[in-house]
Amino acid sequence: MSGDFLRVEGLTVRYGPIAAVAGVDLSASKGEHVTLLGPSGCGKTTTLRAIAGLERPSAGRIAVEGAPLFDAARGLDTPPEKRGFSMVFQSYAIWPHMTVSENVGFGFRARGIGREKARPAIERALALVDLADYADRPASQLSGGQQQRVALARAIAYETKVVLLDEPLSNLDAQLRIAMRAELGELRRGLGFTAIYVTHDQEEAFALSDRIVVMRAGRVEQESTPAELHQAPRTRFVASFLGMKNILEAEIRPLSGGDGLAEARLAAEIVLRARDPHANGAAAGAAAIGFRPVDVRLDAGTAGAGTAGVVTRSLFLGDIAQYHIRSGPIEICAHDRPRAELTEGALVSWRVDPEKCLVLRE
Amino acid sequence: MALPATDTSIGSRGRGGHRARFSAETAVTLGLSLLVTLLVILPLIAVAIGAATEAQGLSARPFLAVLGATRIIGNTVLVGTGTTLLAVGLGGLLALALARINTPGRTLLAQLVTIPLYVTPLLTAIAWSWLGSPHGGLINLLCRRLLGIESLVNLQSAGGIVFVAGLAYVPLPFLLIGAALRGMDPSLEESARIHGASTSTALRLVTLPLVLPAVLGSALLVLVQAMGLFSVPAVLGKPDGFDVAGTEIYRLLNTSPTRVSQAAAWGLLLLAVTAALIWAQSRFLSRRSYVTVTGKAFRPRTLEIGWARHGLALVAWLYVGAAVLLPVATLVWAALVNFITIDVKLMAFDLRHFRYVLFEYPKTYLAMENSLMLGAAAATCATALGLGIGWVIVRTRSRLRGYLDQVSMFPLAMPSMVLALGLLWVYVRASLLPIYGTIWILLIAHVTHYLPFGVRAGSGALRQLHRELEDAARMTGASWGKTIRWITVPLTRPTLVAAWTLLFILSMQEVSSSILLYTSRTTVLSVAVFDLWEAGNVNALAALSVIQLAITFLALSVLIRTRHREVLA
Repeated sequence: MSGDFLRVEGLTVRYGPIAAVAGVDLSASKGEHVTLLGPSGCGKTTTLRAIAGLERPSAGRIAVEGAPLFDAARGLDTPPEKRGFSMVFQSYAIWPHMTVSENVGFGFRARGIGREKARPAIERALALVDLADYADRPASQLSGGQQQRVALARAIAYETKVVLLDEPLSNLDAQLRIAMRAELGELRRGLGFTAIYVTHDQEEAFALSDRIVVMRAGRVEQESTPAELHQAPRTRFVASFLGMKNILEAEIRPLSGGDGLAEARLAAEIVLRARDPHANGAAAGAAAIGFRPVDVRLDAGTAGAGTAGVVTRSLFLGDIAQYHIRSGPIEICAHDRPRAELTEGALVSWRVDPEKCLVLRE
Repeated sequence: MALPATDTSIGSRGRGGHRARFSAETAVTLGLSLLVTLLVILPLIAVAIGAATEAQGLSARPFLAVLGATRIIGNTVLVGTGTTLLAVGLGGLLALALARINTPGRTLLAQLVTIPLYVTPLLTAIAWSWLGSPHGGLINLLCRRLLGIESLVNLQSAGGIVFVAGLAYVPLPFLLIGAALRGMDPSLEESARIHGASTSTALRLVTLPLVLPAVLGSALLVLVQAMGLFSVPAVLGKPDGFDVAGTEIYRLLNTSPTRVSQAAAWGLLLLAVTAALIWAQSRFLSRRSYVTVTGKAFRPRTLEIGWARHGLALVAWLYVGAAVLLPVATLVWAALVNFITIDVKLMAFDLRHFRYVLFEYPKTYLAMENSLMLGAAAATCATALGLGIGWVIVRTRSRLRGYLDQVSMFPLAMPSMVLALGLLWVYVRASLLPIYGTIWILLIAHVTHYLPFGVRAGSGALRQLHRELEDAARMTGASWGKTIRWITVPLTRPTLVAAWTLLFILSMQEVSSSILLYTSRTTVLSVAVFDLWEAGNVNALAALSVIQLAITFLALSVLIRTRHREVLA
């Protein structure tokens, strides 16, 4: 992308012999919301802290609008306070010995800007997070949700082009988390800052992001828009992290025609048709297919088209029911409306639309 | 969004060339490492060099002379091991009684038992010498008059030295073993009970082995201090010519011609013994795992025992009486009475000794001024250094952090007389800086000696402070210095105040290194007390020590109010 605003190349952070981040490339255009998504220990927070300047990478480059902030090769390391970023922390990191407005106005004080001059900006930031009435409260007397808002106000009060957010909603209860998620999205669109956001919650990532970067063991596993990611996880890891329940070992053979269709040979001579959205010529490294339980079509009896199987377990979940089906050595999980005839032990045939059955790489 | 960004465009900043090597953190880390090396390592090297050189060059003679003094070595070992056994045995018993057993009054007693930490053994030794000397001792005089027994106790002996020094060092094992007992998961004991062990068997087979590291650690700390002890043997051993390493070092440096090399050889011997003991301890402890002591806060289960709990309470009260109440009462009485006598008809009480000490004795004001200044400066420097070193240890990944962590703990294993010897060598013989004869050399000695306390307090406080509170300040535009000033220091203030007060008290009481480093212009209160004792001016000495104690207890009340007792452990 030529309009890259923030650019990270080959970022590597080592703790002794272990590389917590191993050669990560990232970019974000102006005003974009990019989310680093992954399980704990995948290096997403370390990546964010390295961008912030709070961890020192051993290799790589970080630049904003073409101006380098960090460059291991040149020994350049701009301290965090001079990078022009702001950050919202998982613990909120609200200073308990200050009032709400002192917290929010800290950036001005740190830069030697007088109280009077800073006041309008502080008031505006507090108004944006609905805390205008709390300005003079001691920060230690706030609830978790209010502390979260103060942290957000502090991050946006001083002019900043990039806000780094480290699991900012993970300490809130479920209801508040959803409400704050909506507010955060609105705030970013309204102010137009670039956000680099770290979370392990895929729903949060889908709801907020323009682009999602899935990380695994210090590397980027896949990078795409939320919709693309949902429709076409590239690897077995991404698919399973996104909750794709049915992942089956398979031998993949591309079908002629070149539209990405492939034949997947499962155990016991079961053959499914699958789509390979990331095909470029050969299906190198592809060894599995994946599909979601809702995409499984079930027919009672063995007369229908598809693979024959037997219901081993049926769980009633309200609007839907979950069926576990065994076909020889293979077990799959399907979601359907509750159907009286699909009792445990019943014979069924199941199939998956080739569009919804994805070829996965290791 | 808020203010027009005139000089804040990110582009203009990046090119400023912020070289990694010169960041504030790196500079602080390097500076502190250099400083700690100068404070701790330099005197150690100086002692080693000093022990091996005489006027005409390299020589093994000083060291051989020391090894030949077998009587003094034997006395030192006797005092060291005796003191350690008494202190660890009694301290461990009190820790068990007051932390884990339903001993009556244990909350109050747990506070009282730590008081000897703040009272220099010099004062208790002096008080006990008045009480327990074989002929003029008050206890013996009373016994003679009331019971007709010729001589009941003799504290001017090896046993007396062990008794007084042991009592003085009880708080260290009490605190360390008590912390281990409280930090232990009670379910370990409970599972022993369920598997068939009685209360006392569980205690013996599970609890005691698990607190073994604390027992050995505190034993080592006490042993190091007791082998380098000066004040107690100087007071109680001198009349009978009972010398130990500490008094011998003092004699070698204070009788003409001074024999500095031989004194340094004594220092080297003490250091070598300490190093060997630390090595042996780490070998012994590394053979088993003690990770079950997690440091997590558990509610310790209280053992309910019968009549024996009253016996334990009695032991604790007897300890408080012998280590604090009786010596302090004796000093106060001696400061107010006209002269020391047991004849009630001859006693008259007034303030004449205070008047003498405050208005006539020429050294009082100088010593008081020096002591207060030294105490305040040493406490400030050690606390500040402790916070800085603690910050490097807790917050950075610097390669020097392990070095700082270890070396700043070295002074725990250096008797303060040995430290003072090293400083004499560095600043008098080698004239590194012209500070001998000034308060600065005393300040260096005190800061080095108390550095471990400062570092423990600083790193402890920082471990409890979420690092994101500091990170948030950096991300909001504050430099490293402003972050430390506006976030770290205010948020760790309670611990820092407690540490400062503790170090102020300890520095005010310090004798062993001050006695080697002072000059007439830089005398301090403890030295003035010692001078008066050597001059035999007992009542004036009592008055001066009561004043010193008053300052101590005033500071102690501040310390108790801040309620940060964890800095002690």
